[in-house]
Amino acid sequence: MYYRQSILFFGLVLPGVLAALLVGGAFYAHQTIDTKYNTKNTQYISYKKNEQNVAALEKELSSKREHAARWKSLFSEETKSQINNHIRNLQEALPSKEFQQTSTDSPITTAGFGSASAQRSAQIRLGFRGTYRALQRAFLELETRMPQLQMQELKIDTGINQSNLNNVEVSYTAWEN
Amino acid sequence: MSSLQHPSTLNELQRYRQVSSILRTTSRGRNKAWFQEALDLDAQVHLRSDGVSIVSQFYSRRTNEWLEGPSVSSNVLTNPEGAANFADQLIQLAKQHRANALGVLLYIADEFAIAELKTEFDNPSLLTELRQRAETNPSEILEGASTFSDSQSFRILPYPAGGETIATAIALSRQDAAFLDTLRLAGEEYNFPIITHALSAPLIALMAVPSAARPTADKPFLTILYYSSFTVMGFFNEHGDLRLLRTIQHRGQRKPLNLTGIATTTLAALEFADPDILVLPLTRHADPTIIVELQSKFPKSRIDTVDWTKTPYNHPNIPAHCPELLIATKEADSSTTSFSVTFETFANEKWAAQNFLPPIPEIAQIYPTKSEVKLLRITHIARAALIIISLLAVTWALMDTWKKMSQPAWAFQPTQASNVQKKSASLASERLQIEHWDNLLEDRSKAWASMELLSRLIPENSGLLVKAFNQTTRPETAVGKSKASFIKEWRITGFAREEARDKLNHISSREGINALFNEVAQHTGNDAFRSDIGNRSILVTVRQQQNSTFKADNEATPSDGNSYPLTFELQIIQRFEANDPLALTTSKAP
Repeated sequence: MYYRQSILFFGLVLPGVLAALLVGGAFYAHQTIDTKYNTKNTQYISYKKNEQNVAALEKELSSKREHAARWKSLFSEETKSQINNHIRNLQEALPSKEFQQTSTDSPITTAGFGSASAQRSAQIRLGFRGTYRALQRAFLELETRMPQLQMQELKIDTGINQSNLNNVEVSYTAWEN
Repeated sequence: MSSLQHPSTLNELQRYRQVSSILRTTSRGRNKAWFQEALDLDAQVHLRSDGVSIVSQFYSRRTNEWLEGPSVSSNVLTNPEGAANFADQLIQLAKQHRANALGVLLYIADEFAIAELKTEFDNPSLLTELRQRAETNPSEILEGASTFSDSQSFRILPYPAGGETIATAIALSRQDAAFLDTLRLAGEEYNFPIITHALSAPLIALMAVPSAARPTADKPFLTILYYSSFTVMGFFNEHGDLRLLRTIQHRGQRKPLNLTGIATTTLAALEFADPDILVLPLTRHADPTIIVELQSKFPKSRIDTVDWTKTPYNHPNIPAHCPELLIATKEADSSTTSFSVTFETFANEKWAAQNFLPPIPEIAQIYPTKSEVKLLRITHIARAALIIISLLAVTWALMDTWKKMSQPAWAFQPTQASNVQKKSASLASERLQIEHWDNLLEDRSKAWASMELLSRLIPENSGLLVKAFNQTTRPETAVGKSKASFIKEWRITGFAREEARDKLNHISSREGINALFNEVAQHTGNDAFRSDIGNRSILVTVRQQQNSTFKADNEATPSDGNSYPLTFELQIIQRFEANDPLALTTSKAP
């Protein structure tokens, strides 16, 4: 039994230790690379997701940018002068017997929708006299050209027994930039 | 073999290299015969030397066949060159029989000596220790130690029946050891196991007494093993147990001198009366007068000479005076083991078949034991498994690493992410701005749409005449909330004829007002009038009264209020909750 100890040591223990070192070293290196890869992969996945989001967002916004640019140009002009310009055009387009402006007022105090939002706004109060259809057409024209107008009050007095003209008072909150 | 050294002279690494070399260059790892006894091998050569001639027989254990063995001259045992040639013959013979090993059994029938055990060792419990010490250091346990030399080999033989003496020792010279060493060495050189075993012929012959001599039951008996140069006397008691072994050297005579005298005194000492006297002739030239002498000396005893041809130990190819070959190769049957404790012990513990000339321990220890070879082979397998597992593990790690390093993610640079993040943040901010303005510009309250509502609510010639229309839209304060709810309220006053009552009632119902609002939404495209969005609620109240200015005799013109018998007041309240798509964003543009 002279060889048992050397067989156990050189045949089993030493190869076992060497194998453990080799495998352990390989696994350690693998683990290090794996950790690095996982970090990079997480960043890469996030990057790809962001890239996709950016592409989707870009696609979504490209169709809205035109409108946004138009809105921006609208908001850059003074509300009152815009309204006056549009009403002047309306008066030129509509017969004077059917559509007349009776009053214009710009209260300083914030009211209506303007009071519920932190967004800057202006108050406009307008008075008109005219036929029902002419007035409705005028409002359609005005509110289409100035989508920033949010109506908060509309009063129509039909003027029964006097004529077919209606007296209208309307007040708006106009959003400003 | 010449390069091999005794492991005690080597360090651990050298030992491992030596044992690995032995396993690699010899058949010890593959041929288990290296670790078997000669009597257990399939191919055996039996040599019996009685000082006069040498009998040689080949025995196939597998087929139980005895064939004539290789020719052997009388001086082969003492001539090294002759021994080497004989070894070559043996290997050729074994290969002819397609054997993977050869057992060589040497029956020493030309000498037999007895030594007595020191009295302090007459303790049956020491037998195992004595058996070992007789081989390694006999002078410590035997009487007459000063006369011993290294040229003798001793083996203990017990007297299992007990008595004053528990055992005796058999001594043989080592004169044939060199011959057997030469055979084993040849086996090592040819990488072919030659396993040797030197037996004492008389001890083997003794095992045949119960079945060959058939002693009378319950009667003591004396066996006389009659060899060419000596005679061995075995004294057995009435139970068949060996009490004493004695030997008489012939000293050049054909028969033992003073046999009857020694027998008489010994029998008297042992107090055996008229025992059976059984003569076992084990020489070709046995002197028959010995029987006459015994008969005259022991007239009341049964005196028999064993005729080996009439015993189970008879074979046509084997001389009759050499029954030891057949005795040794035949498994002891029940007639032997049940005869007495002595024979049972001798057979089971192999006392009679002890090897008197084993390999020198210093030579034998050079080679690994069977368990070490087995261990070495296991470690080779384990090491191969370790290498495979390690390679697989490393390969897997490398492949997985390569796979990961070839992914686009591995080449990814964090600066790319920051660019995209900046762009994403910029676009998100832009979207927030657009959404903000989108919300503020929603068509939640438009004058032209309200007028469309009025015209559809009360068309011309419907029996209703509107006097005044008033709409207010007021948001509800939402402190700390992102969206604000709001309420739209319409108040319409006017005149009504009797036939318009149903219309007013219809409008005041939930179905009626919802239908009207949805109709307006459909025609104007204004979602504020839709009742199927969000959690919007509409409340309608109608109040009708007698018209105090009604004049029944007036001509009924649609625009004259005095021609209407009734007045009405219609109130519609529509509520938009904070979760409604049209709810107002409360924050400033980002």
